[in-house]
Amino acid sequence: MAALAALAMAPAALAADPPSILVSRQLAARARVAVGDVVTLAVDAGGARGRQFRVTGIYEPTPDPMRFTADRLEARLHLPDAIDIAADPADPASREAVSALNVKLADARDARFAPDLMARAPGVVARPTARSATDDPFVVLDRFHVAISIVTMVAGTAFLLALMVIRAEERRETVGVLRLVGISRRTLLASVAIEGLVVAALGAAFGILLAYGSEGVVNRVFQARYDTALVFVRVTPSIAVRAIVVAAPLGVLAGIGASWTLLRRDVLAIFHR
Amino acid sequence: MTSFALAWRTARRYRARTLLAITGVAVIGALLFDMLLLSRGLLLSFADLLHSSGFDIRVVSTEGLAARLPISGSVRLAEDIRQLPDVEHVLMIRIEPATVRAAGQSPRGISLIGSSDAEQSWRIVQGSALGSPAAVAEACPVLVTRPLAAAFSLRPGSALSINVRPPGVASALPAVDCRVVGVAEFAFAQIDELTAVTTLEAFQRAMGGGAADADLVLVTSKPGAPPGRAIAAIARLRPDLRVYSNEDVVAQFNRNGFAYFRQISLVLSSLTMVFAFLLVATLLTVSINQRLGEIAALRALGIGRPRIAAMLLWESVLLVGAGGLLALPIGEALALVLDRILRQMPGIPERMHFFVFEPRALAIHLTLLAVTAATAAAYPVWLTARLPIAETLRREVLG
Repeated sequence: MAALAALAMAPAALAADPPSILVSRQLAARARVAVGDVVTLAVDAGGARGRQFRVTGIYEPTPDPMRFTADRLEARLHLPDAIDIAADPADPASREAVSALNVKLADARDARFAPDLMARAPGVVARPTARSATDDPFVVLDRFHVAISIVTMVAGTAFLLALMVIRAEERRETVGVLRLVGISRRTLLASVAIEGLVVAALGAAFGILLAYGSEGVVNRVFQARYDTALVFVRVTPSIAVRAIVVAAPLGVLAGIGASWTLLRRDVLAIFHR
Repeated sequence: MTSFALAWRTARRYRARTLLAITGVAVIGALLFDMLLLSRGLLLSFADLLHSSGFDIRVVSTEGLAARLPISGSVRLAEDIRQLPDVEHVLMIRIEPATVRAAGQSPRGISLIGSSDAEQSWRIVQGSALGSPAAVAEACPVLVTRPLAAAFSLRPGSALSINVRPPGVASALPAVDCRVVGVAEFAFAQIDELTAVTTLEAFQRAMGGGAADADLVLVTSKPGAPPGRAIAAIARLRPDLRVYSNEDVVAQFNRNGFAYFRQISLVLSSLTMVFAFLLVATLLTVSINQRLGEIAALRALGIGRPRIAAMLLWESVLLVGAGGLLALPIGEALALVLDRILRQMPGIPERMHFFVFEPRALAIHLTLLAVTAATAAAYPVWLTARLPIAETLRREVLG
């Protein structure tokens, strides 16, 4: 029994041995009920077919990214108790009805189960609980975030390249002297590549540390804002590794690219002669 | 020579770094612009969709429009609303989940819409409307969305059988034989949504023959009617119902359905602003450190601190201004790509967009970039303001 049409909840006088019920933390706070209280649940605010229950526990609802903006005003009760409240007395068949059945297949890859069931039981719709890539909003959000990361990376590369160009210009005379004393272009390019690598890797590491340090703040702000236990940001090792793996080659390329305009010239041209 | 001319000469002299800085600002500015478009895009698009439907008032029996229950006495209510002096048009809608079967095909779940008006809220792309003579001759004429037509290879004249499955009704309702009269595009249909619409009479038959109340009554006010008067009149007719204007619906959507994108837009806008500031401030600072001797020489020639400060501010404005202007076309192109990605999200109506241009976004974009240019120039200006001229020149000569 997934949902009741309407749920009225109010502290009530103690009934003899009322059945137990769990209420969500949010509902307990809103209705000001505590463990041990007796409450009345009904299908509408007028108290139709109301029944008394004793609150035996308060639970944190499983965080659901699809519903993080929703007020989780929920209660969990035994199925027979829910049916007692929700079933239509005029329709005896309604006591036999539930809105959903969860089935665990012996072979999770068995694609014939759903069509077979729907063919045998007209009116029943069977669908997998696992979302496919085409109907999972988080797959789409992941693609969106990757696209944003690529744009940020392009801007970051331009930034790094500009800095490396300034560095290369600063060292014009030093490079000229090094070339004059016989140090090859390849060696100089290797040195700027290493410099670019170090700058990019240190930048990525600083970024990871910053993200790791701010993760708790971001999560706390959003968890308080939406009254949920959902984790919004998590810096995983794979994300950290990906950041460094992407940043390092870009740093090398930026270093080589910025220095190449200087190094490809003749030694005298470097000194403006 | 003016401060702007000095800044311009510097930009031309250090062409490579100027171009790279402009590129960086353009890309990050494009992202900032897109986040501003995203911050209200879905909301504007939703409001546009609501207004384009031609109705400005929605009547339901429950709080909000997402989960609706039938409105008891909806036919009488619709008649009463029609009599109101400020009302031009009334439409009753009922939507229920259903199962469709067609010859040789597996059954599929769909949304079945019963509508009291044959010509509203959809565009016929093939076949005829529900009010056409061919449709009137049918007991259960249906219009189907393109995805439903494709899923069952349906076209005008195809037969299909529909079982309505109202939630909370335990008994299975008998299947109703229907005929497709046309394929249509629905304003609020999702990209891959399987939807069929039929007349309210046929819908009632599919519901077992009893009176099937509408769960949504749509109302169009007369042009020129004072805003809110029709809403107040409908609320007086049935105080037990909820009556929403389009603005109320948009406000609800803003509160509940839009939070994630508003938050992500806020976070990313802030990050891009910080990034743009760091980029320009660092480049200017490093560049100034490289040109300390040059600036000291300018000061020694008699160019005052205010002009040097103005020159640095102009340098910042040139970088951020050129980058910010380039950011607009890049941002528009990027918005198309990002919009295409986000519109793959399930449950998004085909005609809704995440990135919608509005003059307000452009004004904020330009203001934020102006603030970035000014703040990024602040530290280099401070550095040059306290530059000891003689000592710097001596150090440069010795160096």
